[in-house]
Amino acid sequence: MDVSSRSVEAYTRLDSRDRRLASLVVGSVVVAFVAAFVQVSQGSYPTPLGATFDVLTDPRILFDVDVWAAILTGSDFPDRLSQTAIIVWSLRMPRVFIAALVGVNLSISGAVFQAVTRNELASPYILGVSGGAGLAVLVTLVFFTGASYVLPFAAALGGLVAFALVYAIAWQGGTNPVRLVLAGVVVATVFQSLQTGLFYFLDSTAVVKTAIAWTTGSLTGVGWAQFRLAIVPTLVVVPLLLLASRHLNVLLLGEETARSLGMPVEYVRFGLSTLAILAAATAVAVAGLVGFVGLVVPHAVRTAVGSDYRRLVVGSLFLGPALVLVADVVARLALMPIQVPVGVVTGVIGGPYFLYLMRRHGDFSEF
Amino acid sequence: MSKTDTTTETTDGTARETEAADEARAGDSESEAKIHATDLRVGYPGLDDPVVDTETLVVPEGEVTALVGPNGSGKSTLLKTLARHLDADGGDVLIDGREIAEFGSKEFARELGMLSQHGSTPDGITVEELVGHGRYPHKGFLEGQTEADREAIDRAIALAGIEHLREKDVSSLSGGQRQLVRIAMALAQETDTLLLDEPTTYLDLRHQLQVMEVIRTLNEERDVTVCIVLHDLTQAARFADYLVALCDGDIYDWGRPEDVVTEELLAEVFGVEASVEYGAEPRITPKRAIDD
Repeated sequence: MDVSSRSVEAYTRLDSRDRRLASLVVGSVVVAFVAAFVQVSQGSYPTPLGATFDVLTDPRILFDVDVWAAILTGSDFPDRLSQTAIIVWSLRMPRVFIAALVGVNLSISGAVFQAVTRNELASPYILGVSGGAGLAVLVTLVFFTGASYVLPFAAALGGLVAFALVYAIAWQGGTNPVRLVLAGVVVATVFQSLQTGLFYFLDSTAVVKTAIAWTTGSLTGVGWAQFRLAIVPTLVVVPLLLLASRHLNVLLLGEETARSLGMPVEYVRFGLSTLAILAAATAVAVAGLVGFVGLVVPHAVRTAVGSDYRRLVVGSLFLGPALVLVADVVARLALMPIQVPVGVVTGVIGGPYFLYLMRRHGDFSEF
Repeated sequence: MSKTDTTTETTDGTARETEAADEARAGDSESEAKIHATDLRVGYPGLDDPVVDTETLVVPEGEVTALVGPNGSGKSTLLKTLARHLDADGGDVLIDGREIAEFGSKEFARELGMLSQHGSTPDGITVEELVGHGRYPHKGFLEGQTEADREAIDRAIALAGIEHLREKDVSSLSGGQRQLVRIAMALAQETDTLLLDEPTTYLDLRHQLQVMEVIRTLNEERDVTVCIVLHDLTQAARFADYLVALCDGDIYDWGRPEDVVTEELLAEVFGVEASVEYGAEPRITPKRAIDD
């Protein structure tokens, strides 16, 4: 009796928040698939919708060992594929997958940083990653011309170094959210200035464009190599952060309460920050500094499903890719033949979203 | 526990502390101290002088002990040190005779609960979910909610008298209700000792009484040792079994409320000229602030 009444209760409380999460997930999946389909079928070499669909669902391609080998190991795509199939599978599909991975990593990273810094307006870049990655890219472009293949590693490494520096600056027998954020501002400001200074040492427009693509975030020209680079850390970090969501909830209760509940706050905070930085660095390595995704996505998910991180992380995992995929369709196709960095588009979408929130809520509530 | 000699002496107003009283306390502390701190010194980075510097503090087992003192006397700092929120610069704190630093974080949180003065309650979660966080120290890294957890949550919610709020979103509650929910969360921890830092400050009278009642029930029915920082001396005197009066980071006096709360204490520690009467209830009538 007690058990059954409780389960009925539990069912009726499979509440509006779970239902909203379900619709968010379904909606994101639909949007992501539509955007992906547009992305792979359109372009300077338009492939008819029907033919694209056939190529995407052709079992002879989907179960072709050589195609899988090309994707996973970087060998050549087999010659027997049609030109449409080659274009779709070797040029356009990787971009779709990478956009999705970038969306996953940035939004989950932002979600974690919003909890760690207890600031709803935190982004993955709040602890200096953007400054470090940007500076590392510029340094590479200026001093190691021609070594463009190291750019992804330089960007990720720069971000990680900046994060370590931020933590070191913030540490005084322990940290707290405010000190971390301030140290992030310190490091980002200095690094960004240095980075801007280095722009003046770039000697050709092409290199300047490369630099801008990295510092605003772009998916132009990515291939399966970048996918292979990003998928491994993603598969490590995302499950760990999903498991950590209960700890994020406790962290949200405030430092003192978390400590009273027996959480080793410094360890947990550092561990979670490190995972989130790895996620951010993964995205940065393949796409550069795509802005706003890591800020907007967790925020939007929170307004829909509340601040319980068990829902928030799941929602972000789906909405993030949907947003980046749509933004990248716009970035690649809207101004054909010019492609703009996807970060430009996410910024253009992200700004007005906050304007909408301001108008709707009048203020930003605290956690 | 023989406190009679202390009583006569303090009411006489002759000597605040005598050797006899000190011995009596030392004797008490060995037999039934839940928390025993010695030579405790706690400071903050950037400050030269320690905020708390005291020889012996005893929190007797199974009783309600209130820490009182003026602003800046170090009562919150002392409480935070006992809860391991602050590290002491020197001295020992023992709980059940064991050094607090030896406990693992979750192990400690199963032993001692602490309700901080400031804590945020996130939006978009229900009262039941928030109270459920109190089970955190009882769970492994990946463990979900067990039947034992659910029962503990039910007990905590019942004890705090917030059944009617169970399904509500925490952000829709009033400040007083939120405080009861936070207390329920600490209750769900099911610790033998509970520390509370000014749990009634900023609450309206009704919620103040509710909070105090919950703490009383907890102490009487579950035999939980309570140590509570209270701002309001009258409330502390009425409510607590023992008072610890702090002055400039040191313990000024310690004992039963009627022994500790005297006109002399009000003058020397609080800087207030007041009359103190004990009828059925202690009554403190402040008259004026004493000039420095």
